[in-house]
Formats: sequence, structure tokens, C-alpha cells
Amino acid sequence: MTPNSFISPQPAYVPGEPVERHVADEELVWTEDEQQQIAAFRAQYPTHDGAVMKGLWLAQDKFGWLPPEVIQFVAETLEIPYAKVYGVATFYTQYFKEQKGQFVLDVCTCFSCQVCGGYDILHYLEDQLGITKGETTDGGLFTIQEAECLGACGSAPMLQVTNGPYVHNLTTEKVDALLADLRAGNMPGFQSVTLPQDEDELGGNRRSDTDAVTTYQTPPVSETLH
Amino acid sequence: MADTPTLLTGETKAGDWRNYERVILPPIKDLHKIEVYEDHGGYDALRAVVKDGKFDPKGLTDEVKASGLRGRGGAGFSTGLKWSFMPPVDPEKPRYLCCNGDESEPGTFKDRQIFEYNPHLMIEGIVLACYAMTIKTCYLYIRGEYIDYVHHVQKAVDEAYAKGYVGKNVLGTDFSTDIVVHWGAGAYICGEETSLMNSLEGKRAYPRIKPPFPAQAGCWGMPTTINNVETLADVPLIVNRGAEWFASIGPEKHTGPVLYGISGHVNRPGVYEYPTGMLITDLLEIAGGARGGKRIKAVVPGGSSTPPLTWDMAEPATMDAETLREAGSSMGTAGLCFLDEDTDMVSFTRRIAHFYHHESCGQCTPCRDGTGWLEKLLTRIDEGEGYTRDLGLLLELCDQMEGRTVCALADAAAWPVRWGIRRFRDEFEAKCKAAAFAGASLGDGSALETGELTPTGTPTT
Ligand SMILES: Cc1cc2nc3c(=O)[nH]c(=O)nc-3n(C[C@H](O)[C@H](O)[C@H](O)COP(=O)(O)O)c2cc1C
Ligand code: SF4
Ligand code: FES
Repeated sequence: MTPNSFISPQPAYVPGEPVERHVADEELVWTEDEQQQIAAFRAQYPTHDGAVMKGLWLAQDKFGWLPPEVIQFVAETLEIPYAKVYGVATFYTQYFKEQKGQFVLDVCTCFSCQVCGGYDILHYLEDQLGITKGETTDGGLFTIQEAECLGACGSAPMLQVTNGPYVHNLTTEKVDALLADLRAGNMPGFQSVTLPQDEDELGGNRRSDTDAVTTYQTPPVSETLH
Repeated sequence: MADTPTLLTGETKAGDWRNYERVILPPIKDLHKIEVYEDHGGYDALRAVVKDGKFDPKGLTDEVKASGLRGRGGAGFSTGLKWSFMPPVDPEKPRYLCCNGDESEPGTFKDRQIFEYNPHLMIEGIVLACYAMTIKTCYLYIRGEYIDYVHHVQKAVDEAYAKGYVGKNVLGTDFSTDIVVHWGAGAYICGEETSLMNSLEGKRAYPRIKPPFPAQAGCWGMPTTINNVETLADVPLIVNRGAEWFASIGPEKHTGPVLYGISGHVNRPGVYEYPTGMLITDLLEIAGGARGGKRIKAVVPGGSSTPPLTWDMAEPATMDAETLREAGSSMGTAGLCFLDEDTDMVSFTRRIAHFYHHESCGQCTPCRDGTGWLEKLLTRIDEGEGYTRDLGLLLELCDQMEGRTVCALADAAAWPVRWGIRRFRDEFEAKCKAAAFAGASLGDGSALETGELTPTGTPTT
């Protein structure tokens, strides 16, 4: 089972003892630039509540994840009750309510990816990193998660790195290369997926500013798995 | 009825599709750049309508109605009709447009290509729709996983603002409209229209009970219209080339160009643009045929919630709402997934059930618990621990889920299971244990283990 996003992690709490904190008070400040962004977000919606998703994203980008004190910080910034912000943060899977690895590998195993070897990729990654889905490697570098359809079914199997770039048409070789790149600290760049009709009519990628992959050049990962 | 002619003719309803010229994603390099888009007639439709008065708001709505455009987000509702449900303008009440780019239905990946390759077409469509309904703010909701595409779209929106196509006094007229790009954070349910509105308002994305419909009380309780990205991208095309042109593409009742997202066991998966009414067999041919020379066994024609078709059922069917309904499925989002003969339909159905269980928002008991039971039962069958009787139980469970919940997610979860079992029963039975229920005599004097709880809570002894 995937870690259940609906069950909210509670800070370890022992009566009479202070609650475990992850971010110190001094760190809970927005920079000038971030304050401007928040002001811009607020202006986009008729109520303060509207800016809560963007506020949480900004906080997650800043602190890496959303421990209760960060959620509280967002709530105070937007002047809305903690419980409301907490409710939103726990509703969505992409907000991290627990600490994850530096690189979170969201492997799609849904629907088209399932029948195109998504589980092969997931298990291969688990073997390579010595952890199972939902876990983080010892040094805190990688977390593996099983993801639901990420909207790139034509280039299945695929994965997403830390709520960011997609890596399409995975093979075991591509996974090896990706892990090596990430270990060296290089995030994959954005890649277009060419449209098959463009191959015929335009000779490939239609965007001159991005690299592209062609969906159907990759052989199936495993002939046997379905 | 016996005397109704069948739509399952096995002949294409897409006309001369082999010479079809793409219009949503035309073969033009760097069309995502505003200069290139303008060079190829971009924003002409907007200029003609807003500045030169080609249509007044009502005229534009009527034109869209006449084109026969039906929503591309899944439900296939007439777009012009939906627009006409907006109440008369009340200066006290803001009105909103939501552009639905949540695109989380498994098997669907078409809107992503619009964000990436032709965002200005969508933006032009949004402004035209705002004009038709006198709306001053559009929220463009993109799923959170598409964050890279959010940046592409934001850039395009900024360009359009800079050139005066969006914002205050569009093209120097007294019509103004804003586009706010909003992105989610990973929840399929945000694609449901009222859930999307709650998400925008900064609440948990729970779908709302309808009525009231969004046209009466949508975002922040104000009149709101919601359309899919591809639906809105069709609007400038209709303005430029006329409703008649649009209506002439594809079958009469479901017209226009469509982005087909083809995935699964084919040689050339990807997004293809063709008219509606394409034969499923033609689409398979275009997509390079089945991978490894295998035989295709099943097709899911419109995303995971549409019932799977056996190949025999799919062969005479074309991709339009009416024909697919007759064939026993529906058009959904036109995201086709082809499955070859080696596919295990039980694990496939189980994985779909897992998806819906994971994505149920948890408001309604039939959905929250039902999706869980579907997954549990299918898992146990898939692992060889189920009984033939469980299939009946699954079908009963589907009966208890369909039409009893706030939104259609419960139905979407039940359909693939119901029709998967009905249409691939052999495969399900082959994985079930022989006895009708646990504890029954196996005929050789032995009995299966007892004491296990069934979903109804009755011990199976
Ligand atoms: C559970 C559920 C999920 C949905 N997801 C999407 C989606 O991701 N994208 C979309 O455009 N419509 C989705 N819809 C359909 C929308 O509710 C709505 O009908 C559609 O956006 C209307 O646009 P249209 O008339 O242009 O098709 C979903 C519906 C349900 C019930
Ligand atoms: S049907 Fe399911 S997803 Fe829809 S509102 Fe009810 S519980 Fe939520
Ligand atoms: S099924 Fe994996 S991206 Fe859609």
C-alpha cells in the first residue's frame, strides 16, 4: 500500500514534554521576494483562503516539507485558521507531511504504465536502492513512491522526480543513468515527447527550445509482465 | 429497438481522415511562441469578435452551439448550451470561468500537449469564452504534477498580457478579462467540477451536491462555467472557420477534431489529432499496430472509467459518443488504451480499483468503503484466494455504488469492474477457487478453510 495521504502524521507527543520541532522559529521568516509572491497570490483570489495552495507550495519549496510548525507559519501569514490549512495540506498527496529523501522518485504503476512495465521499473528501483516503496534510503538521498497516473501514459513507463521533471520511456538502463545523474546532483531537464504525427509532418520535435524523446523508440521493459 | 439502424457499421464516420489537416496541433514549429502563433493567424478570432464585432456575446454562444461542439472533459455535454445556462449579468455579482486542466484520468494525456505545444490557442479560447459569457476572471486549473507545464503556460499567459490580448481593455476595447493560473497538488478528484471549485477556494477538494449547478452557484457561490482545456481550444477554430466547418467534421451528433491519446500495447503510442468518429481499428493501425505482432484483446476507449470493450465489440465501433454507447462503453476523454492477448484482465481491473480507492475523497460511504471493498475483493481474486461467489458480490457492490453518491467517481470506479467481470468472466473465474464459498465441501470430503469474514461481516461458515 502507498503511504496513506489521508492519515495525518502527528508530531511525536509525550504529555508534559515539548513537541518535537523540525524548523526553528528564526528560520520561519519569508524573504522579501517571497513576501511579494505571497502578496501577488493573495491578489489573485477574492478571499485569503484562495492563496493557501500556492502558499503551501512556496513553503514546501523553501523548507522541503511541511511539518506542523510550517503549516502554522503559512496559516499565520495568510491569516486563516491553522485547522483549515492543515486540512488542505493533508488532502493532497504532493504536499509532504513527512520528511522525504532529497530525490523523491514517483514511479507510475497505474493503468497504461502497469501494462507497459511500470511495476518492473518500480521493483528494479527497489532492488537498486535496497528499499521498498514508501521508504527512504539511509543517507536520505532517495525516496521511492508508487504514483497514480501522471498524465504521460503515451510514454509509459515513466516517473517523476520530486514533484518536478518527468522521465519518460523508462528502461533499466535509463533508470541506472538517472540514479547516477541524481547522485552527482544533476536533476533531469524538461523533455518534450514528440507527437507521432509530427515525426511524419515536421520531422520530429516541434519545439526548438527543448530536448525531446520519441515515445515508441523504447522497447518494452519486459515481454512477460502485464 | 429492432428497426433502429445500428451505428456499429464497421465503417469510419470520420470521412477522408487520411487527408485530415490538423488544426489544434498544426504542424508548425515553435507554435508555442506568441510571434509564431500570430504569424499563423493567431488571435485573429479574438480580434474579429472583440474588436470588429463579428459576434456579440449571444451570437458567439449561438455559433458555438451550432458547431455541435461537445465537452472534451469526459461528459460530452454541448458547450454552447452550457454557456447559455449562465444567468443574465448582474453587476453586483462577479462571474467566473474555470478552465479544467486537471487531467488525471488514467489513460488521458492530451491537455498536456496543448499546454506544451499550443497554449495560445487555449488562451484565445478562454478569452473568447469570457467574452461570450461576460466574465472578468478565468481560473486555469492545472494539475500539480504538471508543474513544468504550468511554467510553460504561465509564460504564454504573460506574453498574451504583454500584447494586450488578456487583461484590462483587451485589444483596446472596453472588454477586460484576467487569467489566473492555479495549480493543484495531486488529487484526481480536483478534476470534478465542483471539487475543483472548492480546491480553488482553498478548501479541501470535496465535490458539492448538485443542484445548485455551477451556473447558479459555482466559485465563491457565484455564477461559474467550467470547460475542459481542449473544449476551449476549439473555440477560436470555430470563430475563424465557422460553425458549419466544425459541424462538417465527423459524425453529425458529435463533431469536430479530437486529440486521441493512444497508449498501451501499440508500437507508436502518443497523442493523435483526427476527426471524431474514427474507427478504433483505424486508430490501432495509425498507432503502428499491436506491439510485438500480438493480437489485441481489449480496448479501454476513453480513460480508465469507461468500460473496457472486447476486441470483437471494438472492431465495428467508432469514436463518437452515440456509437460507443451502443457498443457498450463511452467516449470519456478519448484516451484509448489497447491491451494485448497477454494482459491479465484481473490485475488490470484490480489496479484500476486501487486507483479509485486511493483517489476517493471519502465524503460518501458507498464510494469510500465501496472502492475499498472492490480493491480488497479483486486483490484476493488476483492472488488466487478468491471464490467464484466473490464475482457476484463484486457486481452487487457495484449496484450499491452507482448513482448513490455526491459525484460520479463512485460510478467511474464501478463501471470498469462491472464490465470487466461481465466481458472477461472466464479470466476472472479462472483465478477463483473452485468452491462457491469458503467452507463448502469440495466433493472429495475436504472443506476449505473457514471463519474468514466476507465484506458483509458474516463469517463464511
Ligand atoms: C471524478 C471526476 C473527475 C474528472 N476529471 C476531469 C479532468 O481531469 N479534466 C476534465 O476536463 N474534466 C474532468 N471531469 C469532468 C468535469 O467534471 C467536467 O464535466 C468537465 O470539466 C466539463 O468540461 P467540458 O464540458 O468541456 O467537458 C471529471 C469528472 C469526474 C466526475
Ligand atoms: S463519490 Fe467518492 S469522490 Fe465523489 S464525493 Fe463521494 S466520496 Fe468523494
Ligand atoms: S498511466 Fe502512467 S502516466 Fe498515465
